[in-house]
Amino acid sequence: MKCEQYEELFAGWLNNELKPAEKEMLEQHLTGCAACKAELASMQQLWVLMDEVEVPEPSANMQADFRTMLNDYKAAEAGKKSSSIGILEQLGWLWQWKQRWPLAYTLAIVLISFGCGYLFFNLAGGSKQDKQMVELTSQVHELKQTMMLALLENPSASERMRGVSYTGEIKHADKEVIDALLSTLNNDPNVNVRLSTLDALTRLAGHPEVRQGLVQSITQQDSPLMQSAIADVMLKLQEKSSVKSFRELLKQKDLDHGVRDKIKETITQLI
Amino acid sequence: MNSLADNTIMLKVKAGDLDKMGLLFERYNRPLYGFLFHMTYQRETSEDLVQQVFYKMLKYRETFTATGEFVHWMYSIARNTLKDQGKSLKQRVKHENTDDHAERLSGGLTPEEHLEKKQAKLGLYKAMEKLSDSHREVLTLSKFQELKYQEIAQILDISEIAVKTRAHRAMLELKSIYEKTER
Ligand SMILES: [Zn+2]
Repeated sequence: MKCEQYEELFAGWLNNELKPAEKEMLEQHLTGCAACKAELASMQQLWVLMDEVEVPEPSANMQADFRTMLNDYKAAEAGKKSSSIGILEQLGWLWQWKQRWPLAYTLAIVLISFGCGYLFFNLAGGSKQDKQMVELTSQVHELKQTMMLALLENPSASERMRGVSYTGEIKHADKEVIDALLSTLNNDPNVNVRLSTLDALTRLAGHPEVRQGLVQSITQQDSPLMQSAIADVMLKLQEKSSVKSFRELLKQKDLDHGVRDKIKETITQLI
Repeated sequence: MNSLADNTIMLKVKAGDLDKMGLLFERYNRPLYGFLFHMTYQRETSEDLVQQVFYKMLKYRETFTATGEFVHWMYSIARNTLKDQGKSLKQRVKHENTDDHAERLSGGLTPEEHLEKKQAKLGLYKAMEKLSDSHREVLTLSKFQELKYQEIAQILDISEIAVKTRAHRAMLELKSIYEKTER
């Protein structure tokens, strides 16, 4: 065996990954080969020095952010399950915003009007209640939309994700909401935010402008994960007008191999 | 070993007990953060990526089959997350000054440490940063995450022999860059 072949065992020797026979063979060679011995010694020096590599402490935010993310995720999943949300839950939802003080004023007004309304109902009783509730619900709804739009502009990815997840609770998505989501889908730097946005938009696929926006987005995505997810959605929606965009995407030279296969498959299933 | 428990916990998460993910976060946030830090050398990015990996493990929990170890699955997801962010990460790294970074990393050095050692450590940091991604990855997993070649093979989805070869080449590359950097 040549020295070169023994050298291949060095990393394994340092790592304690050699089989006993290999280890013995190498160590025996080392007793008679000064060159290999010196080479291994200098590699070992580096290996030992690596023990001193320090990783800076993560900030305390990491733990808190995880909790927030987990709670939001659970809330989003629960939201998916129950499509009708009671007014108290809606207020509970708003209550989470109490720490966000610019909104606190609006929130206070809603709560006070709720309180007054409640007293009023109790005094007057009867049929006005329904109408009042409807008005209150629509106020809450409007507020949610405002907050959601504001969240989508937040620099923190987990906040934007939270914004996206709340669109599931908005009953009638208007143009403003749809535009904001499409813009997030195409421009957000974080792939998870884009994925959640894709989910949210899929739920709104009843709107023609959403479908159109999704098709246009195909060629704008450069992450394999997104490309593949969008192909799934198009197949689910049976959106035949997407075929042209997929063919366009296939022209990209650096397209991931797996994605390429998937898109070809999607096209055949759509046509 | 809590590997059996890891898989059991993750299966509970899969079954819908999402709170159990908190236990896995307690166990693995630091190793995961360490791995991501070595792969990016950006603290905030690494923290953000930790969230993303845990988010993906929740979102794609159905894909966890417990045929392998939870940690291996976690690192695979972490690798995919890095891959997805690849483009934007590289753009950002370009703007970061390597010297600043090495300086920051070695900030923990005590005054008693010899100047020579300080230089050596600084050189190592710089060399590690210049290492190709796949070489840095295999060294990180074996040296810093203390995983066996056989485990790394599962995470990287290559043979154990291939891990051995890659680890060897990685050490050679590191040594060669280090020797050039230091002098
Ligand atoms: Zn030799």
